[in-house]
Amino acid sequence: MKSAPSHARWAPWVFIAPFILIFCVFTAWPLVQSLILAFQQTFGPKSAKFVGLANFTFLLKDPMFWHAVRNTAVYAAGALFVQLPVALGLALLLNRPGLRGRAIFRLIFFSPSLVGLVFVGLMFFLLFQKRTGLINAGLHALFSSWDPEFAWLDHYVMPSLIIASVWLYAGFNMIYFLAALQNVSRELLEAAQLDGAGPWARFRHVVIPEIRPVAGFVVLLSVIGSFQLFELPWVLLDSGSGPGNSGLTIVMYLFQTGFLTGDLGYASAIGWVLGLILAGAAFVQARLARRETP
Amino acid sequence: MKPPATRSRSRQISLVADFLPPGVWIVVLGALISSAVFLAWPVSPGIGRDFWIFSHQRLGDYRQAVAQWNGVHRDPSDQVNVTLLHFYALERRLMAAATADAPVADLVEAERNLMARVFAGPLEDVGFVDLTERFQRENILEQLNAPSITPWMTRGRIFGLPHDVHPCLLGYRADLVEAAGIDVSQIETWDDFCRLLAPLIQDLDGDGRPDRYLLNFWETQRDPLQALLLQAGSRFFDANGKVQVDTELNARVLAKLVTWIAGPARFCMDAPEFTAGGDLMRLNGTVIASILPDWLAGTWKNFIPGLSGKVKLMRLPAWEHGGLRTSVLGGTCLSITTASPDVEKSWAFAKHLYFSKQVAEGLFRSTSTISPVKNFWALPFYHQPDPFFSGQKIGELYIQEAPHVPERSSSPYDSLVIDRLMTALIALKSYALAHQQFNATELQSEAHRLLTEAQADLATRIGRNVLFQAASTP
Repeated sequence: MKSAPSHARWAPWVFIAPFILIFCVFTAWPLVQSLILAFQQTFGPKSAKFVGLANFTFLLKDPMFWHAVRNTAVYAAGALFVQLPVALGLALLLNRPGLRGRAIFRLIFFSPSLVGLVFVGLMFFLLFQKRTGLINAGLHALFSSWDPEFAWLDHYVMPSLIIASVWLYAGFNMIYFLAALQNVSRELLEAAQLDGAGPWARFRHVVIPEIRPVAGFVVLLSVIGSFQLFELPWVLLDSGSGPGNSGLTIVMYLFQTGFLTGDLGYASAIGWVLGLILAGAAFVQARLARRETP
Repeated sequence: MKPPATRSRSRQISLVADFLPPGVWIVVLGALISSAVFLAWPVSPGIGRDFWIFSHQRLGDYRQAVAQWNGVHRDPSDQVNVTLLHFYALERRLMAAATADAPVADLVEAERNLMARVFAGPLEDVGFVDLTERFQRENILEQLNAPSITPWMTRGRIFGLPHDVHPCLLGYRADLVEAAGIDVSQIETWDDFCRLLAPLIQDLDGDGRPDRYLLNFWETQRDPLQALLLQAGSRFFDANGKVQVDTELNARVLAKLVTWIAGPARFCMDAPEFTAGGDLMRLNGTVIASILPDWLAGTWKNFIPGLSGKVKLMRLPAWEHGGLRTSVLGGTCLSITTASPDVEKSWAFAKHLYFSKQVAEGLFRSTSTISPVKNFWALPFYHQPDPFFSGQKIGELYIQEAPHVPERSSSPYDSLVIDRLMTALIALKSYALAHQQFNATELQSEAHRLLTEAQADLATRIGRNVLFQAASTP
């Protein structure tokens, strides 16, 4: 058998060398360092002490961490069960044949995702204010029984966050769904219609199986994005985690622990556990996708 | 058989031709040239000493003082460059310097919480020059307001020259209060305040809900909560640095505060500072009074001009008859970093700045902040009527309270303690609403239970950290 010329063997390495170099310096090395840190106790700018698994054992018993996990899971559930159905609904609306102004609607629905998270956080911070916020002021003007001091950001932090994220991300995810819907086979839909399938039956038995790979991808992205939630609640809750930590997410807790309390070792442990949670989510999604593939 | 050398060379040529088109070479060449230029670019070493600040309101006054200093100290190495950074940028730069020896200024104005954080480890890790001997040698302590020094001290050592005192008064809508015929001189305690001003709580739009409340305070406002607890006498840490939140006093204060924010006797509302909504409520008279440290009085003057002539200051009502009539909120110090090559020159500049009458006057005029230098308190500019506060001599009013401001700790866990106390207050309010229990005395047992939980959590977090324990041991 004829062996490949030598340049063909090493040329790929030349091409990926810049990536490997950058990856090693900015990803692999910090990862190794953070793993080492996770087994240390740090306090003050320069002091560190090896403590074995103490950070991880403390984390398992830390009610604040589990509170953050619960809040993050609630937000992720909101993303899955509110945001994605809204996105799919918008995509179905825009995919209707003969719809006028499709491009305008697409732009309107997508445009919130063109602005940054910080902007959205600031905007909803103003909208949700007691008395002076547009939502409370508007509802009080419409219904005098509405309490103008309704405390969205005190007692309804997670619903407020989910509302803000729906506004921000529904249009973005709609684009994925719309692309998938436009690839659904016309022949299949017509065949189903000829066989007497109604709109719901066609949606359930033709459309959903056809868009399932894209939906799986969007679900995975949403779950990963939800577990990395930081900027939106940080700005919406005025650089805090809300009353009674009602808006505390895992990454916020990591930030507070590492950069406000100065306990970088414990923060690294939280980061690694978050990484494991995300890897678990990706693994489950991959297994489900494989099981569904014929 | 080994291929001849000529064939090997032709392979390399074909590699170039096949895989690296001219565009790639141009990019590579561009990268190499720019890297070479970047590396060869002459970097001028920093001349003079750098001074980082985070308050834009102080910048103008500091620039004048720096120009004055630079006019006298002609040697380039003695010149001072003042740089305004965003608060978080300054914090990150200091942390980067502390953890990774990144370049840092010679002098830095540090805010209280940031300073507490650098006190977390051993003394040698603080990153700022220990000024204790200088304070003693030059009688600095005697010249300054005593309670204003503790936030900059750890384990008996002083690491910062205090910039301010920040005593608290009560700012109130004098136009509304006086129109209602209320005489605030009758107010001594918070109970008096609530009783005498109660007629001002009114439903202005006829929807059955009050549209005006007496005090800007809410369970989510950590600064006013801290000020009220300090005023009541709470200190959060004992003399040995051990956390103490589960106290009779804290339970009593939290229970009382719940009756301020919930139930039939509610008189507080949420009009947060530094928000457009909060400022609008102050302008509309939706809220009558706010706890006002001197710097916040300056902020009102600068950012809510519509209040001019409508507001006045009074001493904070006390928690009980004969109790403390002030509190303290916020704080900044000037510190010299250990990276400063000439500490004596930096110290000389620090004194030039903070012991300058011109700077003190400028700061008072631009931010209403009074100096901690006691000798300055007799200067005329502190004793002039202020039209914004209806002609009151606000400098004088703040100076009267300055010696009485509560002492504060410099623990790195201070912020966490306030956080837990705030959480306990929120939980206590929820309990009161759920049980429709708005009697302060009867809420105390639940307050105690919540504070016991908070104490246990704080003790676990602080106690877990062996480095902090070691660092805290005298």
